[in-house]
Amino acid sequence: MNGLIRLEILRVLRNRKFQFFSVLYPSLLFLLIAGTADSTGPLDGTDGLTLPAYLMVSMASFGALTAVLMGNSERIAKERENGWVRQLRLTPLPGRGYVLAKTAAAAVGALPAIVLVFVVAAVVKDVRLDAWQWLALTAAIWAGSLVFAALGVAIGYAATGDAVRPITMIVYFGLSLLGGLWMPSTTFPGWLQDVAAWLPTHAYAALGRAIEQHHAPGVQDVTVLLAFFVLFTGGAAWLYRKDTLKA
Amino acid sequence: MTTTDTVVFDRVTKKYGDVRAVDEVSLTLRPGETVALLGPNGAGKSTTLDLLLGLKRPDSGTVTLLGTSPREAIVAGRVGAMLQSGGLMGEVTVAELVRFACGLHPRPHPVSEVLARAGLTAIAGRRADKLSGGQAQRVRFALATAGDSDLIVLDEPTTGMDVTARRAFWATMRDQADQGRTVLFATHYLEEADAIADRVLVLHRGRLLADGTATEIKASTGMRRVSFDLPGGTHDGTSVALDEAALRRLPAVTAVTVSPGGTVRMRSSDADATVHALYGLGVYPRNLEVAGLGLEQAFVALTETDDPTGTGARTGTEEAVPA
Repeated sequence: MNGLIRLEILRVLRNRKFQFFSVLYPSLLFLLIAGTADSTGPLDGTDGLTLPAYLMVSMASFGALTAVLMGNSERIAKERENGWVRQLRLTPLPGRGYVLAKTAAAAVGALPAIVLVFVVAAVVKDVRLDAWQWLALTAAIWAGSLVFAALGVAIGYAATGDAVRPITMIVYFGLSLLGGLWMPSTTFPGWLQDVAAWLPTHAYAALGRAIEQHHAPGVQDVTVLLAFFVLFTGGAAWLYRKDTLKA
Repeated sequence: MTTTDTVVFDRVTKKYGDVRAVDEVSLTLRPGETVALLGPNGAGKSTTLDLLLGLKRPDSGTVTLLGTSPREAIVAGRVGAMLQSGGLMGEVTVAELVRFACGLHPRPHPVSEVLARAGLTAIAGRRADKLSGGQAQRVRFALATAGDSDLIVLDEPTTGMDVTARRAFWATMRDQADQGRTVLFATHYLEEADAIADRVLVLHRGRLLADGTATEIKASTGMRRVSFDLPGGTHDGTSVALDEAALRRLPAVTAVTVSPGGTVRMRSSDADATVHALYGLGVYPRNLEVAGLGLEQAFVALTETDDPTGTGARTGTEEAVPA
């Protein structure tokens, strides 16, 4: 079990493409958007947050989402197809070990993505927070990414090797865009804002923003995240069992 | 049936829709046996191995490995298995993968020893997903033999290996069997089954058609091989008109081939009667040979007999017996 976690982490660290998209890309996107905008004044409807502060949470959340969602879904679907998952079932490794190792490795990949966005925001765009806020933000975004890790597992067990990339992309872009990770959802038309408020990505970013605003996290956001976590985990477990019986 | 038996199938059936992939199969494998599982494509070999390893559950009947369920036996590290298309992990080296497999096993062998036995020492630093077919097979073999197991299961283990690698592979396998392990392998190469297995199981259409030593299976068909050269070497110039049709009319003959060089090969269920009738035609066959069937021919005869139409098994068997 530990051996598998170690190997899966090694693989994440060795995969350059994955590193670019999950670690560098969110920071680059942050610089691109924050760099061109007026960054001093508070942003409309954000309770006094500056654009860089707002965007920092969005991009850190986006980076973590990328790392855990892509890391799980595509690899699980591919490895189910090429027979590696079957091969593992012929070892003493407990059945859940594979999924847990994948998720742990994805989480290890997510942490640098989060931290790099924070460093870039603090150094380049002068985002200033209390020490506890930085720590709480890191912890909240990192822990919240588990929701999407579970979604990644579910997609990995539901999709075939060919279909997994388009399906992941649609889910990933849909959740990022509609959840307001790329642009504030306050810019959306009213009806879309109502929809967005119930998306897990929206609740996820709201969690981080509450910390920046010295607020307790909103009850609705926490409830939405927990509900999706239960849904995705349950779905992943169900799909995993179905796949195991079929094998 | 005792708990010391390595594998026990008790009336195991597995259906896919209406098709019975494995049909009421009962068999027992004992410690130290080297057993070949033969059958044309679609005979149920892979399903049988999946059931044995607990990857699939039988619709009825029970599978017992070393006195417990397949999964328990695997968790206890008593089974090492190599699947036909077991994919390998990407982005890790051969050595890392083998070390991982050794780490999972309750009674692991030293990593260097496992690498050496599988002939992987020279490519231990290569990436596991960038190997040739034969090299990948050797990695799968290393994963299956990472620790001290009682049963080793191999599905088409030498596919993709060249002759040298294949020979080395079987030498290693025989070594494993000599140490008291039970080795079960499915194969398309009948000569491998003949040369290596103490015992041969023939599966056809999900049923166990034959179970015995290669010699017993060859004899079980009751068939003999009759071959001779036609006088004068060809059809032309012989005093007696002896063509294929005439040969087919000989008693007890079930198959005839005549090579361009004039060599006749026949399969007969009563070689004495066939040869007697051959002389009765006034022919003086040169280089007459009467012999038992090879395993391959016995296999064809067995599966053909089992198949009422004769066509299904024939196509399957041709694929199953590469030249």
